[in-house]
Amino acid sequence: MKIKIAIILPLLTILNACVSTSGVKDVVVEDRGDAPSKVDAIAYEKGDFGWRDLANSTSKKDNNRVETSTEIKAVAELKASNTQFTLYFAYDAVDISDSATQEIIKHANFMRNNPEIKLRLEGHADERGTREYNLALGENRAISVKEVLGLYTGLGSRIEVVSYGEEKPVAGGHDETSWKKNRRVEFIYR
Amino acid sequence: MNKIKLLLAILFAINAMSAGAVLEITVTKKDENPIPIAISRFQLSGVNAQDKDITQIIQADLERSGRFDVVVTDTLLDPLEEIDALYWRQRGLEAVVVGSIEQQSEKIYKLSVRLFDVYSNKTLFSKSIRVYISGFRKVAHQLSDHIYEALLGEGGSFNTLLTYVTVNNNTEGEKEYQLNISDSDAQNVKSRIKLKAPILSPTWSPDRAYENKRIAYVSFQKGHSEVFIWYPYVRRKIEKLPRFDGIASAPSWHPDGKSLVLTLSKNGNKDIYSYDLSTKKLTRLTYNTSIDTEASYSPDGQRLVFTSNRSGQVQIYIKNLTTGKINRITFVGTYNARAVFSPDGKSLLMVHRMGNDYRIALLDIKTKDLYIMTNNVLDESPHFSPNGNMVIFATNQNSKGVLSVVSVEGNRSYELSSQTGEVRDPNWSGYLE
Repeated sequence: MKIKIAIILPLLTILNACVSTSGVKDVVVEDRGDAPSKVDAIAYEKGDFGWRDLANSTSKKDNNRVETSTEIKAVAELKASNTQFTLYFAYDAVDISDSATQEIIKHANFMRNNPEIKLRLEGHADERGTREYNLALGENRAISVKEVLGLYTGLGSRIEVVSYGEEKPVAGGHDETSWKKNRRVEFIYR
Repeated sequence: MNKIKLLLAILFAINAMSAGAVLEITVTKKDENPIPIAISRFQLSGVNAQDKDITQIIQADLERSGRFDVVVTDTLLDPLEEIDALYWRQRGLEAVVVGSIEQQSEKIYKLSVRLFDVYSNKTLFSKSIRVYISGFRKVAHQLSDHIYEALLGEGGSFNTLLTYVTVNNNTEGEKEYQLNISDSDAQNVKSRIKLKAPILSPTWSPDRAYENKRIAYVSFQKGHSEVFIWYPYVRRKIEKLPRFDGIASAPSWHPDGKSLVLTLSKNGNKDIYSYDLSTKKLTRLTYNTSIDTEASYSPDGQRLVFTSNRSGQVQIYIKNLTTGKINRITFVGTYNARAVFSPDGKSLLMVHRMGNDYRIALLDIKTKDLYIMTNNVLDESPHFSPNGNMVIFATNQNSKGVLSVVSVEGNRSYELSSQTGEVRDPNWSGYLE
């Protein structure tokens, strides 16, 4: 597998630019009521948790964690390797294709090489069907990804699975063009 | 019927809540021959706050049902005086409502009302109620129920409540979700829960008393789906169910109001559990490795209907809670979901996929006859009115979420929409005290 990645690495960036950041942008979690401090940590990701912003916030983060700059560099390298940070699914499906498995393996290797990094997998569905069924479906998609990652021992405890069902679409249209963008699992490193 | 009763209105503080999102109602379909009925305007000087206008509330209730054409007349009539049946018959009316309001003390009013059948020349009911002004809306809805029942022989669903979620974009372009409650006429809107995280599946507890009325709902306010319980008539009270690993969603009340069923994925496996609110005991009700969700009790609490993809398709199943046996119920179509029992327990309302469209369908449990009620593209969250005559559900109109209410026969309907944003996830309360 490592050989494969070495080959992919130089084939830099055309597709990877917006895939994950546009999706992550919607992950705004804010509570107007009395939220415990734990929620603030999640809310911090709001807005522009993209790779660029991670890099920009290096100096701020350095005060808290020494490893941060290494991590950022690692994530930047992963991104530069043309790795997909969002996986897409067929209607009502949770299956991981062979090519998707190859993508997931890159993430697994990345996590093994960077033991400090944690991953949040966010499962989503398109708007068709009921909201509650889609919430369950979104979680199954994220779990499918986690299961592939989990084939590598020791990664499971560093992976969080969350489902937003159909509640956080990246595309607002009501046709297949939008739906196929919304049936997805997003990889969010933290 | 002449019982004099001091109606204690609603004593519970609602003032902690902000104004909710007011919906507009448009009647889209009425009976072919609605019953023509006149309401002689209830008159009282000094008290005419629009939302407390009893005449207007009754008129709107009856019109909205699609079964009446209502004329409001200013011909002053005393409920105790004799009614000139011929006069009203000549005007093509079948019934007349006559009422008056009289102030009895600083806070208490006496409301007298009489429903007169023009053709039989008989008084169908005559009633006198003492009421606080804060109780005017409720009394008006109760009178609508009485009139409806006296003229049609079946109970109305006016003295009931709705809950729904509205979604608006704020000035920064972020989505804001608000959980609202209102009277059945979408007036008297209250809200206390406004979040930038999604809210879904609000559902009224079966309690009849206001102080016990609760709404279970799902919110992502902590970054993942969790079930909360809101006491709208008890100030500031919102409870959260314990945190379970994975999703917690699709709450639905047991008919006794003491427990909930919900979907949990504690072990990654989405199954249905019941949660006892007093003992805090969790009981697992399904064990399948596939998705089991959207559970809802039969009115007698003996059966549980739910959605499962255990066959490889999304279909409806019923678990008999006495025998533990689970039976698949739907065989027509490749996607049937989110079923609820009718108030008589004989049929199921559900979302049914037809081609590429998701529509509301009614299934007779015994005969298995499936009747597709709607012809839209993306309908969801269907629920019955408490009398079982109407169905409320969420749909899209010009790419915007609205609520639609349709009679079971399909011949009457109205819509509830928000001027500023989307409306979704409606739920209709049961009967109130």
